[in-house]
Amino acid sequence: MRLTIRWLMIGCMGIALAFVCWANPSVAQDVPLIYTGVPEGSVWLGVKLGEHESNILGRFTGQTYAIKTMDPEALLNANLEPLPTAIIAATDVEHLRKLSAKFAPLGVAVFNVASDDEALRQACLPGLLHTPPSARMKADAVAQWQKKHPEAKVEAWAWHPDFEKFAGRDLNNRFRKAHQVPMDSEAWSGWAALKMVSESVARTQSINPQQILTYLREEMEFDGHKGMPQTFRDTGQLRQPLLMVMAGKLVGEAPVLGVVDTSNLDSLGLPSCKAITKQ
Amino acid sequence: MKALTGVMILCIALAGKAMAEPTYRIFVTNEKDNTVSVIDSRTNKVEATIKVGHRPRGIGLSPDHASVYIALGEDNAIGVIDTKTLKVVKSIPSGSDPEAFAVHPNGHIYLSNEDANLASVLDPVSGELLAEIPVGIEPEGVGITPDGKRVMVTSESTNMVHVISVPDHKSIANILVGARPREVTFSDDSKWGYVTSEIGGQVTKFDVAASKIVKTVKLTSIKKVKPKGALLSRDQKTLYVSTGRADSIAVLDADNLELQTTIPVGKRVWGLALSRDSSRLYTCNGIDNTVSVVDTAAQKEIAKIAVGDMPWGVVIDD
Repeated sequence: MRLTIRWLMIGCMGIALAFVCWANPSVAQDVPLIYTGVPEGSVWLGVKLGEHESNILGRFTGQTYAIKTMDPEALLNANLEPLPTAIIAATDVEHLRKLSAKFAPLGVAVFNVASDDEALRQACLPGLLHTPPSARMKADAVAQWQKKHPEAKVEAWAWHPDFEKFAGRDLNNRFRKAHQVPMDSEAWSGWAALKMVSESVARTQSINPQQILTYLREEMEFDGHKGMPQTFRDTGQLRQPLLMVMAGKLVGEAPVLGVVDTSNLDSLGLPSCKAITKQ
Repeated sequence: MKALTGVMILCIALAGKAMAEPTYRIFVTNEKDNTVSVIDSRTNKVEATIKVGHRPRGIGLSPDHASVYIALGEDNAIGVIDTKTLKVVKSIPSGSDPEAFAVHPNGHIYLSNEDANLASVLDPVSGELLAEIPVGIEPEGVGITPDGKRVMVTSESTNMVHVISVPDHKSIANILVGARPREVTFSDDSKWGYVTSEIGGQVTKFDVAASKIVKTVKLTSIKKVKPKGALLSRDQKTLYVSTGRADSIAVLDADNLELQTTIPVGKRVWGLALSRDSSRLYTCNGIDNTVSVVDTAAQKEIAKIAVGDMPWGVVIDD
């Protein structure tokens, strides 16, 4: 009996201590991030889940995230002091080009989280990073799939709410729990941008935009819950497996097994800036 | 102090006495069909298939080997199987979605609650939840140093090893490692820890006392490598790493992490167990629905045993 009480006390002390530890985190650094575009819809919900998960990471590595929203025109005209660590942009192509022109010389990464525009990848704009698959990536995935299933009317998506492999199930559950709606491709693209920024900040222990951009381009190996490390091409495009969908139902993955080498993500889309001149 | 040491020695002696004759049984969790396969390690034959609760994954033995614990993710519980009678004797509420766990020398179960960003401490005797410790996103692997002083939990979606002290459950350090860390194991002297990173394709060795990484190696020379399970040989010289979709065991020098060879086994290899004499390594092949038996001296698979649907984890009572 006495022993039980002792263990109980030790247990209680443990709980109390754990609580005290978490109630008093050491002074955390605020990471300045800007979201530009309409703060609603799937992309925004993805960004919000990413922000939440970045704060969980930051609890252990000493940062907090509270993303600020700005209208694209206002952002283009603003004189930002301090500079944001990164910009998340869900805007049209024209604004993306202008944002890149303004912020690339300042060394700030601009994440395109909404456009699949092929020309934007071919432009190889410095500082512009693309989390959604490009139009050509999706077309290549469909073409690979149709080599095996010639008649299939299939689509290639960045994400699917029924995807379970590679802890896809966990990510889908987290999104549904946070927002009460299924996670789609747009949401994935928004979520991925935030996760990559916070991981870069945690690993470099820096909020300097140039340092983060360099880390993202050169060292980042992102786990986007798609089973392979994801890195950026020199075009700014994030390499990624795609999910094959027929009439809304998940049917497979690309690169397509039996058609190409599934470990090489460069069978989808424009592999590099150099490859443009070759075409 | 002397008295305390005396009590401890007595306890260890008693525990030793209490340890019954081994059953030589291998226990395997089958994630998809909610069963545990029981294999006789002397014959490599399945002697029983036990219905357990839902989504059995993590598996471990009580310090006296009298009980086999099973993490039942969809039942939010730890199931308990009597090692001798093979009866499911109880199911202990564990907090939400337990995936993996480790058993402390004092008998307490430290487990990861995958969807709650927590590690929980469970007393399997009283059924009491003793503590909940906040960790990162998708906590998975749990390791306890053999000296019982540190618990380490990997969080797969924050890419960390969380170092927690025992018994006060203080956060000592949070070590960033490669993407999707899955499992952590320790040397017998509690000096060195090893963690596998599935998406990073790497193994990291760290100094336990300093909570500092000493070496990281990429295993990406092995095509499709996804490091998952990790175990040290009894002589502490070799680290065995299961490689997931690369369908093999990577054999590493535990000192410098140099890759020595790979041993082909079944498809999507995850859980590992080693016989007491270090001569046999058992591997869970999730897509094959088999367990491979590897002769560690010959570095060769010598048998493949059909088990249930999607084997995940394995322990041996020998």
